[in-house]
Amino acid sequence: MKKSKLVGILLFLMTVSMLVHTSAATMNVVVITDPTGQDPNGAAAGSQSWAENMFQSTFILSKDKHFCVLSGGEGNETPRLAAVMEAVNNLENGGTAESAATLANGFSGIRVMTGGPTIGAAVGGYFLAYVVIVSDNGTITITPYSGGIAVLPPGTKGAIIHLRNTPGNPQYGTADAVRLQTAEMMGQMIRDGYPATDVVAAAFKNVAINAGEKHGGGAVNLVSGITTGDMFTPTELNTTGFPMDQPYSKVSDNGWSVAYPEAANYQTSPIDGSNLTTVYAYQALDNAITVNANTTSVAVYGTDAPGVADTTQEIVQASVDKHGFSGTQIAKDINSAISSGLLVGVNNVEASDINVNANQKAVGVYFKALPDNRTSPPWNLPISASILNLLGNMQTAIGLILVILVLFRSTLISSFLKK
Amino acid sequence: MFIKVRRDTLIILLLAFLLIFSGRVMTYMSYASSTTSDQGVAISGVIIKGNDVVPLDSIRNSLANVGFRSGSYIQGDTLVTSKRQVPLNEAIANAKTAVTETTIPGTQLTPIVAADVEVDNSTGIVTVNVIEDFSSIHINGLNGTY
Repeated sequence: MKKSKLVGILLFLMTVSMLVHTSAATMNVVVITDPTGQDPNGAAAGSQSWAENMFQSTFILSKDKHFCVLSGGEGNETPRLAAVMEAVNNLENGGTAESAATLANGFSGIRVMTGGPTIGAAVGGYFLAYVVIVSDNGTITITPYSGGIAVLPPGTKGAIIHLRNTPGNPQYGTADAVRLQTAEMMGQMIRDGYPATDVVAAAFKNVAINAGEKHGGGAVNLVSGITTGDMFTPTELNTTGFPMDQPYSKVSDNGWSVAYPEAANYQTSPIDGSNLTTVYAYQALDNAITVNANTTSVAVYGTDAPGVADTTQEIVQASVDKHGFSGTQIAKDINSAISSGLLVGVNNVEASDINVNANQKAVGVYFKALPDNRTSPPWNLPISASILNLLGNMQTAIGLILVILVLFRSTLISSFLKK
Repeated sequence: MFIKVRRDTLIILLLAFLLIFSGRVMTYMSYASSTTSDQGVAISGVIIKGNDVVPLDSIRNSLANVGFRSGSYIQGDTLVTSKRQVPLNEAIANAKTAVTETTIPGTQLTPIVAADVEVDNSTGIVTVNVIEDFSSIHINGLNGTY
């Protein structure tokens, strides 16, 4: 009798802890500062948590249809995945943020937040959220919601933030205050004209420092279709991601950078001795999802060699800044980089290998990788390679014979004379 | 001088050195100017189209796992990887399966329902076209599809 009661209580406690585990535990935020979808940084979203398993599934991004689906980070939590899939499916078929987020109410203990530049934003299911609406005359309205559905209507500027504390977080109990504080801060930033990517990064910083829900997660730029990918996500199952309030890397004025933990060993740039600036994770997140007006997006094809894509990006950017969008000029600059050894493992390019789209500020470079792990392109000699090979081998052979001749000179001569 | 060396010996040695040196330089030049390789066509890159929610890196990893990675090369109709040799059409079939089994990171969801893999035998570029469909995903532990 007593034993069965104990088992019953244990079961009840386990159920409760599981339920708490599914519904609590994260920060989700969607910010829309340009509901027309024109500004490349006009809509952004992100997730972070104290909890483990904040993989990319907690901030799913559609690059083509410009929407995101955020949820809690519970690994392979089955109903959460079902809710996320229903939301994605709804949005793929032309649903609004509201219609997709409502679907979360069909699952117990699940929260789904969705948003996009033109579809508005919404959170459905189990949540504690503030909806921030900034009207055109600068009035900021902040409304609390808990559970059901909360909507930022399409066409309005504003944000939605959900925040709860995860059990085990040393800053447990701060969520309510920080949620309001972050909502107010976001409202002011949106009113003052900051782009959505900056607002999201600021929210990450505030929540990570003041509420302790700090493990990435990550963020997405909904208009430009850029995601932080696995920059901050955990490397293995059942571990936490990168703490968003910690230093992420160090950067020198000239572009050299090194990531933590190695960065702790560097005080100055080893290349030119210039000073290093520490980049915190929330700043790195901002840099990763913000699109600069003068940034050229460079796509590299034909090689997966590490470093080639990054270096090409820089060369093309420099070339475009100097000469504008000219395929021949870009090809010339890339070729000079190849001959100076800056780019290794690829053959020289022709102007026809460069695909330039000046309107979209996009450049595609089609490389041809070199065979046999060679580092530089073949030389262009007037004599064919096989003849050179033959001549070279013959000369080497004659040279070696001469050496032998010298060594055994006296013996050889005497043996000839004897004859 | 401890060792007595005749002058013409020295001259012959110098000549031999020159011959060997220039011979070696010539063979290097012939290597550096040759364009063909006896190793077949290296897998030089992967182009992925059509993915929306599934990240590029995940698909790229799936392809690398079935042998389409840097360091592999195509010799005739065979894909030679660092681990084994597989017929190219078999490798392509494997790649199709691997791509459709690519998950959204951190989940077991596989939204890619169809994949088309093409390998260019002359350039070594692998082109993958994928189709994502979220309307018929099976989730382990739940009945039906989502």
